[in-house]
Amino acid sequence: MAELSLRNVSKRFGAVEVIRDLSLDIPSGEFAVFLGPSGCGKSTLLRMIAGLEAVGSGEIHLGGARIDTMAPGDRGIAMVFQHYALYPHMTVRENMAFGLRNIGTPPAEIERKIADAAEMLEIGELLARKPTQLSGGQRQRVAIGRAIVKQPRAFLFDEPLSNLDAALRSRTRIELARLHQRVSSTMIFVTHDQVEAMTMATRIVVMNQGRIEQVGTPMEIYQRPRTRFVAGFIGAPAMNFLPVTGVTGRGGMAVARLPDGSEVATEVPIGAVKAGATLTLGVRAEHVLPGNGAAAKVDVIERLGERTLVYANLSDGSAVVYDEPGDVQLSVGESVALTIDGAAAHLFGPDGLALHG
Amino acid sequence: MATYRRGRGLGDRLLLLAVVALAIVWIAPIVWVIGLSFKPNDVLMRSTGGIHLPPFTLKNYVDIIASSQVFAWMLNSFIVAIGQTVLTLVIASLAGYGFARTNFPGRNVLFVLVLAALAVPEQAIIVPLHTMFAAVDLHNTYAALIAPRLAFPFGVLLMTQYFRAIPAEIEEAALLDRASRLKVFWRIVLPLSIPAQATLGIYTFLHAWNEYFWPLVSATKPAMYTLTVGLASMQTNFAQTEGIGFLMAQAVFAGLPVLILYLFFQRHIVSAVAGGGNK
Amino acid sequence: MVRLRISSGRTGSHYMAERAASGIGLSRLSNGLFVAPYMLLVFGLLFAPLVLGIWLAFQDYDMLGGWAGGVGLENFENLLDDKIFRGTVRNTIKFVLMTTPAFVALGLFLALALNNSLRRSAILRAIFFGSSVLSVTIVTLIWRLVYLPDRGLLADILSLVSLPSVDLITSQTWALPAIAIVTVWWIIGLPMTLFLAGLQQIPPELYEAAALDNASRWRTLTSITLPSIRRTIIVVAVIEVILQFQLFGQALLITGGGPDNTTRPMVQFIYEAGFRDLQLGFAAAASQVLFALMLIAALAQMWAGRRREG
Repeated sequence: MAELSLRNVSKRFGAVEVIRDLSLDIPSGEFAVFLGPSGCGKSTLLRMIAGLEAVGSGEIHLGGARIDTMAPGDRGIAMVFQHYALYPHMTVRENMAFGLRNIGTPPAEIERKIADAAEMLEIGELLARKPTQLSGGQRQRVAIGRAIVKQPRAFLFDEPLSNLDAALRSRTRIELARLHQRVSSTMIFVTHDQVEAMTMATRIVVMNQGRIEQVGTPMEIYQRPRTRFVAGFIGAPAMNFLPVTGVTGRGGMAVARLPDGSEVATEVPIGAVKAGATLTLGVRAEHVLPGNGAAAKVDVIERLGERTLVYANLSDGSAVVYDEPGDVQLSVGESVALTIDGAAAHLFGPDGLALHG
Repeated sequence: MATYRRGRGLGDRLLLLAVVALAIVWIAPIVWVIGLSFKPNDVLMRSTGGIHLPPFTLKNYVDIIASSQVFAWMLNSFIVAIGQTVLTLVIASLAGYGFARTNFPGRNVLFVLVLAALAVPEQAIIVPLHTMFAAVDLHNTYAALIAPRLAFPFGVLLMTQYFRAIPAEIEEAALLDRASRLKVFWRIVLPLSIPAQATLGIYTFLHAWNEYFWPLVSATKPAMYTLTVGLASMQTNFAQTEGIGFLMAQAVFAGLPVLILYLFFQRHIVSAVAGGGNK
Repeated sequence: MVRLRISSGRTGSHYMAERAASGIGLSRLSNGLFVAPYMLLVFGLLFAPLVLGIWLAFQDYDMLGGWAGGVGLENFENLLDDKIFRGTVRNTIKFVLMTTPAFVALGLFLALALNNSLRRSAILRAIFFGSSVLSVTIVTLIWRLVYLPDRGLLADILSLVSLPSVDLITSQTWALPAIAIVTVWWIIGLPMTLFLAGLQQIPPELYEAAALDNASRWRTLTSITLPSIRRTIIVVAVIEVILQFQLFGQALLITGGGPDNTTRPMVQFIYEAGFRDLQLGFAAAASQVLFALMLIAALAQMWAGRRREG
């Protein structure tokens, strides 16, 4: 049974509809990441779950109880805010105790819970300090600690890593994943960073313009994007999109013809494709193979160390990015030949939906 | 700030000279009055020169303490100023928080009205205000001296501005920590606003202490005079007076407390004034 | 307030619909309680007298004779015919025209000269601001002594340079300027502080860029500093006009309005009509005229400021 369940939730701010009739079930114990570009409604959705925004219409249930009618503090959730929102005038200990005191937890139990959380997060030495005396990473831990002591049914995270530097961010990702394994509560994490989503989520919810584009495990999302938006949003570098026409069948699978006349044999069943339709072929950089095939000219070379991204232009002018090893010998303007691995290619219809079997 | 300035030297020195000269003009009257307040009246009758020369005396100050109602007036001023300060802090904090952070039907209309109230000068309402207090027979009471200033919107707007600058996230975190709305205000927002409270408090105190027009028309019995009104009542026709030293001692006696207050809380007073200009 | 826990939520949640999710943005009537005390005060002690004052201005109402009914515009007509009132309007406007430019110019000069973190500037700022914490009574007391014709500080200084002593406050020409000087001395701290706050808002990068562009100090002042604080200049001018229209205590206590009414300001007229002669309707009408003049002056200035901007 779903732990968190959103049923036909809508929300508008004035004339702008930020969440459109959205339904979603998240099983207990999942680490769900709401992923999408800024303005897609993911933060609003999180704040509605927390009770910080009223629901326009629809219902939200958590652990079998309807929570959208409850006050935020009564919902059994804890939230880690983007800027941490620690109480500046309270010590770390008081920050963590505040919520527990408000529900009348006995002092001894408060002490025990704080001690446990402090040990888990290695913030024992910070308990007597005020937030201004902490580094960004330490504040982050305290904010998480303040959430943990409440033993909530669900943890909500509102882009909490966006204020950390790159090194700290990747370390915190690992720690959050570890924390999730340990406390086994449901976690909902909002971000626009696909790396955070891919590395931490057990389930990614890709959102765009107030709607859910796709829900799935990280690899499902990566390997079988349901829409062109998802395909383009997930993965770095972004997936190559090429216009294709004159699709024919071969062995029951669709064959797409690129503008320069070359053909790519996909593994999309032809039954899903209307013959002769104008479609979009999507293929990731690692599935464009240099060696032979269509002629292209190198435009930009981006060296990342372990790999090199090469941006090349096909003869019809369309741009393609593909992978080379880190130490590849190549220069701008050079001619290369590229083959598209049809087995890994996707086809998208004019409505942006992926064509599947 | 001025790291890259060129042409230091003569221009800067002239500027400094001009400002220092002005500063001397600014403090000269005060120093002069303080100095002469320690001189006997009969000496001052002849000449006010030789400020640094004896004879000196404390008689003028002794006279204040012995002969006038200055202490009673000071107490009145103190009661009025403290009362007005405490009430302003409470009322303006509540209202500022209400406008900055809560929503209720009619909020925007009311806030516009508060902004509009800023345009109403005391003089435009003082006659009817006096009539209203007379109708309920409240003149010559502390309540009458304290109440009218509480209606002026400066404090509310200052606190509104301040509360708006506190991140909403912190209050949201408190709501999720099961704090009631009042508790969020009392335990989270109010402690965070102590600097603003100090600023508004000191500013209000000074204003109340120095207020002239309303106490002048409301407190008509000498026993209810505030220090400002009381001192003014004694300053009649003194071109021919024999008690210049006494008058000077009064000025010092009444002015020194606020000047000392100012020296201690300069930062707060200045920031209240600067904040008021951005309205 | 009813508290709901998750455990009881299953049964109790639906009747709670009206207190639905209460983020801090939620509109609720009970939140109005925060502003209720102040709103009662502002309606009772500010808007009510304002409305009452406007009504009074059209009544024949004096404290001794009582209320004798509405008289239309008669109070205003009487004001127009009143030579003393016309004089107070003239005096007040003269005073505003004397002091406002002085406040803006001197305030700006001091702010520019003292806008740095040097210790001596902090001391100088404290000196210039300090006089404004004194009450009008003390300020006028000090200056009446300074202005004493034979024994005052001014006379002492004049005699030092062998000039004859003058009695400013009994001079029809000099009494009002003398009051203006006292006023500038008293509250120069306000415009100075506002200008300092404005100067602090200018991003330091602008000055760095100007330095890299070889701008002279004068050029930096005229092309960077002044344009950056033009809004502050307008604000200060408007505030000063509004404040100086309210001239009262200094005139009442230094000259009492004399000599020959040449320093009597409008507020003193209101005070005397309302609280000495007890002609409430007449005084209220004069208040409305003052209020209107202040609004017109302030609006005209804002309008002029905006026009120059456009």
